[in-house]
Amino acid sequence: MSIYSKDIALFYDEKEILKDISIEIREGKITTLLGPNGAGKSSFLNIISGDLDFYNGEVLYNQRNLKEINIQEKAFLRSVMAQSQPIVFDFSVKEIVEMGWLEKGNIKYSDNFKTALNEVLIECDIDYLKNRKFNTLSGGEQRRVHFARSLLQLWRESNSVDPCYLMLDEPTSNLDLFHQIKMMNAIKKLSTEGIGIFMILHDLNLAFKYSDYIAILKNGKIISFGEPKSIINDDVLSSAFGVKIQVNKKDDNIFINYV
Amino acid sequence: MLSIINLKFLNSAQSFILFFLLILLLLVLIVSFSLGSYSFPVLSILMGNTSAIEATIFTEIRVPRVILAAIVGASLSVSGACLQGLFRNPLADPGLIGVSAGAALGASTIIVFGSSLTSAFIFSTFLLPLSACLGSGLVILMLFLLTRGFGHQGVTYMLLVGIAVNAIASVGIGILTFISSDSELRSLTFWTMGSFGGITWSLLIPALIIIFISFLFLLPILRNLDILQLGESEAKRLGVNVKSLKYRIIFASAASVGASVSLSGMIGFVGLVVPHLLRLLSGVNHTYVVIGSALLGSSLMVFADLLSRLLIQPAELPVGLITSAIGSPFFLWLIFRINKI
Repeated sequence: MSIYSKDIALFYDEKEILKDISIEIREGKITTLLGPNGAGKSSFLNIISGDLDFYNGEVLYNQRNLKEINIQEKAFLRSVMAQSQPIVFDFSVKEIVEMGWLEKGNIKYSDNFKTALNEVLIECDIDYLKNRKFNTLSGGEQRRVHFARSLLQLWRESNSVDPCYLMLDEPTSNLDLFHQIKMMNAIKKLSTEGIGIFMILHDLNLAFKYSDYIAILKNGKIISFGEPKSIINDDVLSSAFGVKIQVNKKDDNIFINYV
Repeated sequence: MLSIINLKFLNSAQSFILFFLLILLLLVLIVSFSLGSYSFPVLSILMGNTSAIEATIFTEIRVPRVILAAIVGASLSVSGACLQGLFRNPLADPGLIGVSAGAALGASTIIVFGSSLTSAFIFSTFLLPLSACLGSGLVILMLFLLTRGFGHQGVTYMLLVGIAVNAIASVGIGILTFISSDSELRSLTFWTMGSFGGITWSLLIPALIIIFISFLFLLPILRNLDILQLGESEAKRLGVNVKSLKYRIIFASAASVGASVSLSGMIGFVGLVVPHLLRLLSGVNHTYVVIGSALLGSSLMVFADLLSRLLIQPAELPVGLITSAIGSPFFLWLIFRINKI
């Protein structure tokens, strides 16, 4: 079970944003996309999440063409945590998280609403915030609330085998160190539970520590793809980001230095 | 019917307020049925101890008038709440953004030209509300196009568009006023200030049906309206059919505002103020705000109509004056509050 992108190309105003991208996002694994600003990372995420549909090529969800999956069914297959918009009305934190709960056709889960809600509130360390107004929270706290909402969208009973995917666009931005690590651990735990993870990150250390696969995107092209240990080397990273980068490997750990 | 509303997301305080508003509405209705230039003691009506002439006044004049006030209040408030949610903008109101003006233009056109067109037409009682609905629908469509599908364009932009639309509609109404005959002029003047007088069952029933159907149309999507507040693309990712949501709200608001404006004339600020009162009381989710707006909106409007009948007896104060007198200071306060945020 996987999401497979096949020869994805994207043109926007006659400019080629993405060129022939084929990668696989596997169930139960973390696949991370790295690359400089403007490389096309968010565009690619929008394509495989089904937000953009004017691309060339094919996206297959478990062998089914993404364009043939309707909007409600898509909501059960994947959840997306993107950069969020401001919210005008004063919803409480609990209400924002609850918006992730899918109603239609989800009758077999609806008895578990309260359990699921409490689980994600605790998992994301926002239980103590649940009665606060969302708009009074700091940027980092708001990220955690949206993360909780994405988790509630994917919530399944522990014995469920339905395949699903979580896509995250810079999930750790605005977070303090403690919550960065906590969120990455939560993401790792989801992947061990069988959820396929696709995320965009800027922090190379976090990316190499937590990912099962890494893809590096530059000027709309994948210049490197594979397991962290096999693809990591000074030259690839330095040329991708235009900064001199030195990789130190010690035992099983990888440290990135900027020089 | 309750199955089409998702009550799971109401908290206990909100359920209590909705219940309280329901009781309030019933009380206001009873008081309003009995008080007026001619008073009916509630008990004697229930017991049937009334003369034939009293019974006629009650069933043919008092009851339809109070019911009209109730449904107009409910429909303006509900469409205000839904439009605010759709635009993601707390200042949207059928009056401010020109929807009521469009409805009034549609209705005025029928008042001035209709008599020559449709004297023998079977659906002539439906023609006035239909034309008003068409007018309000065109205005919402125009706003939709000008704001690029209600994209997030900012408060100022939408209000400016509303001012422009209002101006265009008043030019139309001005021209109609100029070419109208004396009797047509009298009916036209009544739109600009709003009144519930002169209603008959044959006019009320079609409007009642239109408004009832449009509410039924809105009730199942209140949860989706909450999710829309996360942004359009986010709502799509959560499985919300945003396009159908927009069309439902546009259609239902145009129909219910059109139907009520065609009978009551332009009544300002109710659609703006009532949803905000509910948000101030307890929370912003649309299941609570919209249902509460229906209840509180009709209570307030029935009460405003009662005031209009009682304050300067035996004459009547136009009810639109009362609601604007209460609503405009609230609107000012709201602008200052929003600017602070």
